[in-house]
Amino acid sequence: MPVLRLPKFGKPVKYAYITGRVRAMKTKLIPAEMYPRMMSMDTSEIARYLEETQYKDEIDALSKDYSGTELIEHATFANLAKIYRKLLKVSIDEPSFLILEYLRRWDVWNIKTLLRGKFYGASDTEIMKYLVPAGELSEEHLAELAKKESIQDIISAFDRTDYSSALAQYDGKSLASVENALDKLYYFRMERAVGGTLSVGGGLLLKYVRREIDIRNLITLFRMNKAGVDAAMIQENLIPGGKLFDELSRMAGQPFGEFIRGLEGYPFWSSISDVATADIDAISRIEARLKAYLIRYAWALSNYHPLSILPVLGYMVSKETEVANIRKIVMGKEAGLPAELIEEQVVVA
Amino acid sequence: MAVVADAGVLYGLVAVGAGLATGLAGIGAGVGEQGIGAAVVGVVAEEPGFLGKGLFLMLLPETLIIFGLAVSLILMFAWTPFSGIVTP
Repeated sequence: MPVLRLPKFGKPVKYAYITGRVRAMKTKLIPAEMYPRMMSMDTSEIARYLEETQYKDEIDALSKDYSGTELIEHATFANLAKIYRKLLKVSIDEPSFLILEYLRRWDVWNIKTLLRGKFYGASDTEIMKYLVPAGELSEEHLAELAKKESIQDIISAFDRTDYSSALAQYDGKSLASVENALDKLYYFRMERAVGGTLSVGGGLLLKYVRREIDIRNLITLFRMNKAGVDAAMIQENLIPGGKLFDELSRMAGQPFGEFIRGLEGYPFWSSISDVATADIDAISRIEARLKAYLIRYAWALSNYHPLSILPVLGYMVSKETEVANIRKIVMGKEAGLPAELIEEQVVVA
Repeated sequence: MAVVADAGVLYGLVAVGAGLATGLAGIGAGVGEQGIGAAVVGVVAEEPGFLGKGLFLMLLPETLIIFGLAVSLILMFAWTPFSGIVTP
């Protein structure tokens, strides 16, 4: 029997302001029916359309220095960082703590981007283009890090922080192990932080994070099983902490057809059942479906506890997806990809 | 008829009851409004046009105080059950 958990007196009120605010912000997101229309616009038309939406400030400010695809790339990331920082600024106590903990994924993203950029010898301005200062690391700090000479300098800049143990895994040859360690560290910290909160939404946030880990592992499995990588190698790449971790790690290395048959019956199966066939050629199509499932899941959870961190989480996930969609459309057009291929990758919940 | 209570004490108790009726209704409405108020401020920060609707929603729990106030007024001025049992 489900236990009826009564909210502690006065506690959910801390969330009233921030949930009211994100629900209003949600109405400003780009509606799903705009994506097909954006597909038929050219880059300058998309920029003009974005100027009518919440991206106006960024497009206006950056149009002096950039144009075309570059302008949209910069503006979307700048807007994402601005919105996330705003959420941090307008929340207090527990919501603020949980939001920051969630946003640390952008710190991980930034560290990964820095390492990758240095690994392939990109210039610091080139690297700065792909950084999203939405987490704890500020833009100035990131700019400083981007100016460092080598990967080792960047790693030593993170000495005595939580990231040092993960960064110590760098072997000088490939970044895969460091990136994996960073992902694992992020989810480990997230679980620890969420586990420490006692509010009604905390448990459900943990549930979402576990589901997210499962979906990420599932995407890894799809890619690697398709490529025929051996089981031990795949298992090394899976992130621990998901609810289905044991079951998924058993699926590593299975023949693709058998792997897909094994997925039937899981809650996410209905979202991918029509595209997940043994002879599928593009895993990205499944990836888009799974990501859409995750957004729907986050919003569905927020209905259980309207006054909790979950609507904020739903908004953050939706916003991130919106930015990713715009970038996919713009970059796909720039690369001359056919419209159907881009459309498949656009995530619509 | 026997005198069961002093008129002063009874009218005093009625006055306390009247005070509680309005006071507790006010506290209840306040508890209800704290969340609504915070949420409305949050929404108005994003959408200034929502202010009118938001204020209306915020004042809904306030209507409950009217019930409390009505009970208080009845107790104080209209309800005289003791007229037969108290000494004038």
